[in-house]
Amino acid sequence: MRYLTALFACLVALPAWATEGERVQIRGEIIDTWCYFSGVMGSPESVTGTAHHTCALWCSAGGIPVGLLAEDGTVYMVLRIEGDDGSASGDTQLRLAAHEIVADGILYQRDGLNYLVVEEVVEDLGITNQSHLDFGVVPPFAIPDPSGN
Amino acid sequence: MRAAAFALITALLAGAATAQPLPFDLGGPFTLIDQDGEIRTEVDPDGQMQLLFFGYANCQEICSAALPLMGAVSDVLADDGIAVRPVMITVDPDRDTVETMGPALHAIHPDFVGLTGTEEALEAAYAEFGIEVELLFTDPAGGGVYSHGGLMFLLDGDGAVQTILPPVLPEAQVVEIIRGYATPTG
Repeated sequence: MRYLTALFACLVALPAWATEGERVQIRGEIIDTWCYFSGVMGSPESVTGTAHHTCALWCSAGGIPVGLLAEDGTVYMVLRIEGDDGSASGDTQLRLAAHEIVADGILYQRDGLNYLVVEEVVEDLGITNQSHLDFGVVPPFAIPDPSGN
Repeated sequence: MRAAAFALITALLAGAATAQPLPFDLGGPFTLIDQDGEIRTEVDPDGQMQLLFFGYANCQEICSAALPLMGAVSDVLADDGIAVRPVMITVDPDRDTVETMGPALHAIHPDFVGLTGTEEALEAAYAEFGIEVELLFTDPAGGGVYSHGGLMFLLDGDGAVQTILPPVLPEAQVVEIIRGYATPTG
């Protein structure tokens, strides 16, 4: 149910559409939006934080747009972060995977979605969500077996 | 429960399309070659809306989510008389050639259009849509794995960008967003 609540919060933006962006400052975790919304790897709680860090790196490198999961459960689709001119794969997106940050930027609401252009990462608290304590590595195969098995 | 939630989301998004500006200046002219060897520009020959993604036909990363989604969305909208053509511009012209693109894309959807071209023509298209292509690593089994942007673009029949769509959205939601921009043709 929390998954649906979070999804709902992400998808339903304000009814009035902004022609101009709105400057915002949002605290939240940089997440892998594919695994978070698809549910293919597990519950939302298990695909954030340390448990999902490695998979989040793979997904971002593969082109999955990153999101910012705010403290109130809203997910913002990140279009750009600071110097990295893209929604995924960049050095900044990879460096910040699963990190809790305070982002200062411009919010655009379009088609009922929240899009965020992060102009500055005001604060980077690192990976604070120690979800591996509850879930281990999600999914387990995210970390290659050095034996090749 | 999930179906009910999606239905609620769908209802809330109905009629939500807009002609208001995008955050960025995206899109523009391109001249490429399709899988039949024919020249194709940003203008759809039949005036259909186009759902455009930059990727490569055998990509196992984001394309494996985006390309099937594009085909499925096209089918759902076609049933409602809304024609949307799925189009992929390759970021790997060495593998996605005129000869090889068609079968790979048609395995996903019979109406898929694959576009390639000269390095100069492809770079021009990437620049118009803000796509940065980078070889991340080479998979011994599958070849190069590229970073290439992860958003879909909805174009009108003239090739103008209508909106952007993250490929992580549920199929029903993508359908509803596109429906808001469509003029039924059927």
